[in-house]
Amino acid sequence: MAPTLGNITLWLSLCFAILQFFTSFKKNNNSLLLFYKIVVVGILLSILFSFFSLMYSHIISDFSVLNVFQNSHTTKPLLYKISGVWGNHEGSMLLWILVLSLVNYWIYKLYNKKNYIFISNALQIQALIIIGFLLFVLITSNPFERISFDQPDGLGFNPILQDPALAIHPPLLYFGYVGLSAAFSFSIATMRLHNSDEVPWHNYMKPFVVAAWSFLTAGIAIGSIWAYYELGWGGWWFWDPVENAAIMPWLLATALLHSLITVERKQSLQTWVLLLAILAFLLSVIGTFLVRSGILTSVHAFALDPGRGIYILLFATLLGGYSLMLFAIKSKKFSNKNYFSFFSKEGSILVNNLFMIIVCASIFFGTTYPLFVEIFSNNRISIGEPYFNSTVIPIMIPAILIMGVGTILSWEKVDYKKTAQHIITSMLLAILIILIFFLFYRTYNILGLVGIALGFWIICSVFVKIFINIKKEKNKKILFSAKFLKHFNSMTVAHLGVGLLILGITGSSVWQKENITRMKVNDETTINNYNVVFKEINKIKGPNYVALEGNFWVYNQQNKIVTVLKPEKRIYPITNQTTTEVSIHTNLLRDLYIVLGDEDILDGWIVRIYYNPLVIWIWIGVLFIFMGGLLSLKNNLKTLRRYN
Amino acid sequence: MRKYLSITPLIIFFCVVVVFFYFLIIKRDPSYLPSVLINQKAPLFETTSLFNNEPFIYEEEFGNETVIVNFFATWCVPCRMEHPFINQLSKEKGIKVIGINYKDDPKKAIEWLKKLGNPYSKVAVDKNGNIGVNWGVYGMPETFIVNKNNIVLYRQAGPITKDTYDNFYQQIKEGNK
Repeated sequence: MAPTLGNITLWLSLCFAILQFFTSFKKNNNSLLLFYKIVVVGILLSILFSFFSLMYSHIISDFSVLNVFQNSHTTKPLLYKISGVWGNHEGSMLLWILVLSLVNYWIYKLYNKKNYIFISNALQIQALIIIGFLLFVLITSNPFERISFDQPDGLGFNPILQDPALAIHPPLLYFGYVGLSAAFSFSIATMRLHNSDEVPWHNYMKPFVVAAWSFLTAGIAIGSIWAYYELGWGGWWFWDPVENAAIMPWLLATALLHSLITVERKQSLQTWVLLLAILAFLLSVIGTFLVRSGILTSVHAFALDPGRGIYILLFATLLGGYSLMLFAIKSKKFSNKNYFSFFSKEGSILVNNLFMIIVCASIFFGTTYPLFVEIFSNNRISIGEPYFNSTVIPIMIPAILIMGVGTILSWEKVDYKKTAQHIITSMLLAILIILIFFLFYRTYNILGLVGIALGFWIICSVFVKIFINIKKEKNKKILFSAKFLKHFNSMTVAHLGVGLLILGITGSSVWQKENITRMKVNDETTINNYNVVFKEINKIKGPNYVALEGNFWVYNQQNKIVTVLKPEKRIYPITNQTTTEVSIHTNLLRDLYIVLGDEDILDGWIVRIYYNPLVIWIWIGVLFIFMGGLLSLKNNLKTLRRYN
Repeated sequence: MRKYLSITPLIIFFCVVVVFFYFLIIKRDPSYLPSVLINQKAPLFETTSLFNNEPFIYEEEFGNETVIVNFFATWCVPCRMEHPFINQLSKEKGIKVIGINYKDDPKKAIEWLKKLGNPYSKVAVDKNGNIGVNWGVYGMPETFIVNKNNIVLYRQAGPITKDTYDNFYQQIKEGNK
């Protein structure tokens, strides 16, 4: 019953979406609002119903539904039955549409007498996007498809997806992608109307972009956390096409976010923002295409079907063709003669925008390069880490240098002498820290030193900025009052996070140590001043798996016990898959990371031990960036409310 | 000038889309890799050896028996998966395997081989990937079979796994005939 109803409401939401599309052509303001109310709420409720009926089918293990049969099993824990709804292609697309309808509802809530033409136009594009994705799900990947024969139990669940991080990773990521759809719609609405109503379109676009960007940041980080803890390869980023598909829109969203601030303050860079808003969403759709069509191979095991690829690509062509054509025709109306100097806040933002675009383009190039080569030479190639590291890192270094300068620069007219003083102070601080670091650790690794220097350069510039702001205050006793915290605003918090993130990335990639060895019980090995003793191995039983658990006692140089690490090797009998569960001991300076590999009766177990410095700072850094995003979201919503 | 600038995104977008369509329409298997080297003389190279930094002289290593050339790197995860099979070929089947350490840190590579076992009779260092270019290597790992007349007989792109091991061994036996 539930799946049938879910299917019906899914079709119903398509009807509502089509109605919304046509409603937006109507010109009469009075009846329009009521009409919108019906269709927008109609879409939201019917998709919510559809989504929850799929969830219900998963929870009660209704194996007459193909999607449940293929991806679930009665022995699966409840949490993973629920997250299993979006752990597969069909269900995740349904979640995508649910988020789309939430964003659609949010745009509708902004509707008022002053802006109704603008919002109508945005809602029209939003309806088009919803229709496109609904048709995609209904035609090529319907989650409610039934199977006629009786099934006693399901086929099971990919065990590497059975992880709490992966339960929240897709929803966060989709909020990000889909939030960008609002920016796309607003961009088109603005260009179409020549902005004749003087609607502050950037004020409408900004909260959506900030929200999308924050969630995208968190989503990507959670994905990395999953890769780090679950895949057991010792790293947290692998330049896989799926990761690239998420990082590319993120880079453009970062550029878009900063340009929007410039539009808000100075009215410059308008054309640029309109283009970025289009490209960021288009890349989200194309990323989905790359991941789900099977055109590229990836570690993510999505069910692949060329039919789906053709559909998404056609849809992306329609969206991209229309929006970029509109841009080609209308964009000159938005260019203005507000020139600014290179040495200004706007200047640094624009330059860093260009760097973001170049990084994004080179990642796009690297991800799709194998396809292009194949056309011209009929050869197959794959490029991995060396390509991305050697293209992305050199571009990021000047970008980070400029980011530090941009943090210090103010929006007002630049006082060159004072600014130079501030920049030099920040630089000297960073150099001082680097010298202390160097004396303490005696490392000669150039890349490592550069990375640490850049990280501290950003952190120092943030504190110099806070100091400048405090100096402007009349009350000098601010350091001891709650007002001090006020200076940790969205920008300083997020930039502080970037500084910490750079430290973490540098530490974990430059000074990682690994020890891959064969060990029998009671064997001993060392890694970076730690002694690791393999004490015993036990059989344990989980809810839907059995596991072998190794006990590793870790001693420091003084022969004191630091921790006991218990990596597991799990066997899921239903799908007959094995996974490794990493065991990690974390402190502020390093992670100790142990993976239990295969057993050989004669030689013992393969054990992989990693010493990963500063990893925790990656996650702390991202948390700061995310909080910075939330702070900015709060302010932007306030601004929007004032206009609305 | 502005006019052309504003139409550029559209043009780039369409080029990309056309390429994607082309790939969806033609039927292709993403894991198949042809090679122009098959039945050709193996490309010569001179470099240093990994363990002792002495010159690696091509003529000393090739030309007496069927040799396997295995490109590997420590940064490559599939290489690690493949390694036991290379060990098996070298230690159990007694086949001569020459390793080429591709764009890697020699210290890490030595450490890696100490831990996982060293199946290679010699390891050539390809620091900048030049040897890889000459051999037409596309990704890590790749493995070639070269017969005693220095002719490349077979190429395996991607790791040798449980599924491909038997076929690969068969190819070696045929090369010996």
